[in-house]
Amino acid sequence: MSTEEFQLQLLNGVTFGALLFLVASGFTLIFGLMRIVNLAQGSLYLLGGYVGLSTVRATGSFWLALLAGAAAVGLAGLIVERGLLRTVRGKPMSEILLTVGLSFIVADLALATWGGDPVTLEAPPGLDTSTGVFGITYPTFRLAVLALGAIVAIGLWYLLERTRVGAMVRAGVDDRETAAALGINVGAVFTGVFVLGALLAGLAGVVGGAYLSLFPGADAEILTYSLVVVVLGGLGSLRGAIAGSLLVALIYTFGQSLVPDLAYFVLFAPMALILIFRPQGLFGRAG
Amino acid sequence: MTASRVKWAGLAVVLLLAAYLPYMVGPFYISLATQALFFGLFALSINLISGFGGMITLGHAGLMGVAGYGLAILSVNEGWGLAAAIVGALVATVLVSAFFALLVVRTRGTYFVMVTLAEGMVIWGIALRWSELTGGENGIPGVPKPDFADAYWQFYYLVLVVVAVCTVLIALLVRSPFGLGLKGVRDAEDRLAPLGYNAAVHKLIAFTISGFFAGVAGLLLAMYNSFIGPSDVFFLASAEGLLMSILGGIGTVSGAFAGAAVVVIVTNWVSTYVDRWQTLLGVVFVLVVLFAPDGIAGAWQRHVWEPLKRRLGRGAPAPAPAAATETRPREEVRS
Repeated sequence: MSTEEFQLQLLNGVTFGALLFLVASGFTLIFGLMRIVNLAQGSLYLLGGYVGLSTVRATGSFWLALLAGAAAVGLAGLIVERGLLRTVRGKPMSEILLTVGLSFIVADLALATWGGDPVTLEAPPGLDTSTGVFGITYPTFRLAVLALGAIVAIGLWYLLERTRVGAMVRAGVDDRETAAALGINVGAVFTGVFVLGALLAGLAGVVGGAYLSLFPGADAEILTYSLVVVVLGGLGSLRGAIAGSLLVALIYTFGQSLVPDLAYFVLFAPMALILIFRPQGLFGRAG
Repeated sequence: MTASRVKWAGLAVVLLLAAYLPYMVGPFYISLATQALFFGLFALSINLISGFGGMITLGHAGLMGVAGYGLAILSVNEGWGLAAAIVGALVATVLVSAFFALLVVRTRGTYFVMVTLAEGMVIWGIALRWSELTGGENGIPGVPKPDFADAYWQFYYLVLVVVAVCTVLIALLVRSPFGLGLKGVRDAEDRLAPLGYNAAVHKLIAFTISGFFAGVAGLLLAMYNSFIGPSDVFFLASAEGLLMSILGGIGTVSGAFAGAAVVVIVTNWVSTYVDRWQTLLGVVFVLVVLFAPDGIAGAWQRHVWEPLKRRLGRGAPAPAPAAATETRPREEVRS
């Protein structure tokens, strides 16, 4: 692999990692607080992407699509949390199975609405050009994805560590009953976090629609990446989601360029190693 | 007549009906029954670890697919004889299952679900992307059946016999001391060690055995379709298997077949009238989780079997609803 090729793959890995982080951060946030493994996270991603697609077709604006995708999926998250998940709270297996049932429904309705052919969103004007980085030309849009990932990471960190709401969330994570006894409305915090996690998935869907493409099955594929990310990084940890996303994306991009047939298999190797030597993940708490 | 005699008589009637079925209905319904049988075995293999062991898996279609692809690759691509290809495929399935099991035995609860899902999707990724080996998106057509089971009704009998034998083996396993240990893993994993059980080894063996039976179902699936492809090993296929096992009543042997029958009817028969049958499956999934977590078998226990037993009187005094709740998967305690 030449230096230039190496740099290119490195950039691909880092920018793809930023995209994965958008999905995985929502996933890990929801788990961290609510102990819900949201297996519909991939479906929310796909739904966001398709809503974005329809918005672009109707209005021609990518930015509006970004907004609409995130808002629509956030709303869907609100309905799912209030209408369904709330009724089985405290039963992790029922919660997981509910989200699996939802992923059936979303996948099928998306197929009925948007068809089975892969579609790609156009990058918005201004970002659809190339930029020189370290002497190679690289799509500006992908660099913008990296910037967005960084902004979301910093925003989430600030929200969790520096604000009153974040303190409530952390209190809820550490000791739900005491937090409730102190007058924190844990139910509302739960809903807020779930909606935020869904919103991030929807946002990622629109971005992913322009970075990758949207097709039936993209939901399960992105879900698998997210799972590997959180297994690597540690479920419920923001730092883990960042490290895991970058690791998974780099391994996948380099794997794909070196051994294209086995890219998935290569992805599996670090997960296997982590599970054998550190089952709680790189940044996860033991137990 | 005692309750257990009623049970045996019921089983005999079901088997007789199953054996007589090709004389009563045409090819379409026989094909439905064939599918319900091998998918029932698949659901039962999931049940073995999810129902009796309390570990919910969402990657079992991957293991089913290792056998299906193994058979297809060895017989179609490599030109092996059918018997050798079957043995080779099952050996491959057991090896992969044992490897997957090694990775998951130290996890539990939600982590177990996620890791099995990722494992299954790796198989899917290989099936889809490693075209040289697996035919990629096109899959591998032309998977052979045994010569003596070429006609649809002959194949039905083959499936019936294989599935019946596997079911008896699983039923015996569940009732064995090993099966009791497995229930111990489900109900109180932490208390097993002081009792001298090694929970991790128990999980490992159970997972591998479960993978073997999923593999047998996978062989029958590939033969039935004369084809194996990526969608057979996809996440949704795993989820469908889990749905069958929960719908029927997780932790019961007969429930797996009832659940499989319902799903097969929805995917094959209802789908000719309703386009959005997959949505329907999803709705069924959600409704079952919300309102009938112990499934068809649970409802049967509560509304038919227990009242009948009480009426028969002379059977053992009925510890009424406990039977239904006992078989539910363990819900982990939350901190």
